[in-house]
Amino acid sequence: MNAKKYGKIAYDGLITNNATFKLVLGTCATLGMSTSAVNSFGMGLSVTVVLLLSNVIISLLRKIIPNTVRIPAYIVIIATMVTLLRMVLEKYIPDLYDSMGVFLPLIVVNCVILGRAEAFASKNPVLDSAIDGVATGLGLTFALTIIGIIREFLGSGSFFGMQVMDFRIGFFTNSAGAFFVYGICIALFVLITGQVDKARRAKHARALRVPSHEEPLPAPDETTAEEVK
Amino acid sequence: MTVRQFFKSNAFKSLAVLIAIVLVAGGLLAIFNDLLYISDEERLNRTLSSIYGEPVTAEEVTLDDADTETPYGTVNAAYYIVDDGNYLLQSTGTGGYQNGTVTLWTALTCSGTPENGLALTGIRKVVYDSNINQSWIGKIEPSFYDFFAEQDELIADGGYFTAIRDDTGDLNNVQTGATGASNAICNAVNSALCYFRTILTGGNA
Repeated sequence: MNAKKYGKIAYDGLITNNATFKLVLGTCATLGMSTSAVNSFGMGLSVTVVLLLSNVIISLLRKIIPNTVRIPAYIVIIATMVTLLRMVLEKYIPDLYDSMGVFLPLIVVNCVILGRAEAFASKNPVLDSAIDGVATGLGLTFALTIIGIIREFLGSGSFFGMQVMDFRIGFFTNSAGAFFVYGICIALFVLITGQVDKARRAKHARALRVPSHEEPLPAPDETTAEEVK
Repeated sequence: MTVRQFFKSNAFKSLAVLIAIVLVAGGLLAIFNDLLYISDEERLNRTLSSIYGEPVTAEEVTLDDADTETPYGTVNAAYYIVDDGNYLLQSTGTGGYQNGTVTLWTALTCSGTPENGLALTGIRKVVYDSNINQSWIGKIEPSFYDFFAEQDELIADGGYFTAIRDDTGDLNNVQTGATGASNAICNAVNSALCYFRTILTGGNA
């Protein structure tokens, strides 16, 4: 029962409510940091760590924090986690710290984090909130990395910093290119998840022997009609 | 409202919880700030490793405050690299976006010694350190910094860099979309060149 519940929380964070591709949250960091795959991956992991820690702390304090001051309290907690992360990155991964620049402190105002704190962590137990934080963060990391790989490959001809092609399309390193790639990725993600969802519903309907909305209802059978009479 | 009522009210509870959270957060940050403190020596070693690729021995050159201001910015620190006889300067260039600045480390290459005629021969590497107000500095590509190390002839001839295309004969280096930051970076490099030419060589360069 619990495994199923945790699986659903994780699936929601990764796919159903993917922060970048489905909810279109944290767009500023997505567009600003996705010029290279390494930066995108680093940004995604940083947000994941902050999400995990802030979700756990807010969930622990959810019965203590009065409703009227919950938003300032969440902001203080999130800002503390981001500042701690900055210190750790500056000390142990200075290259990533330098490359993230202004986007690292801006994680404080990333609406994904405050959104999950308000929508999930403030209403659910610690373990559920931790799973939600990790899943949402990994969903964001996945999305950022995909956009970063595409933009880096087309804009610089490289893959995770390794030069693989001898061409550059400057458009993809600019903001307009970022929006273009972001839009294409959202479209593809919605298309793929929609198809998968449709297939799952059809399979589920077949298993229940109930016709899905995609399949036409069978024509009324003469014998069935007679039985009704 | 009596004092007792205030202490039992929701307002007091809200205030107390917020203050408690702020105090705990502040204490936590103070502890981690102490644990993860990066000393000036550690910062210098990191910079030296990123420039030279290996640990090197550096001796700090004492700067006279009266000489650190140049027309392009300020020189903050200078080091003599014992291993190869070259100099490493930290300088801050002015003229950035919104009157901001960029601080860089510039590893200079030179010939001779202060006793028998020190001469600037080029730039080995330029490494970014920090900035003020340069929102678009992330647009600066590594090749922009590499450019400075490829202009030995200009540097040996006493030239400087500029981010603004003009007819002064200086070498133009600008990053599209970050002109202000480019200008401050060029000025930081120029500060290091100017200081070396006028102070470290005693004006003989």
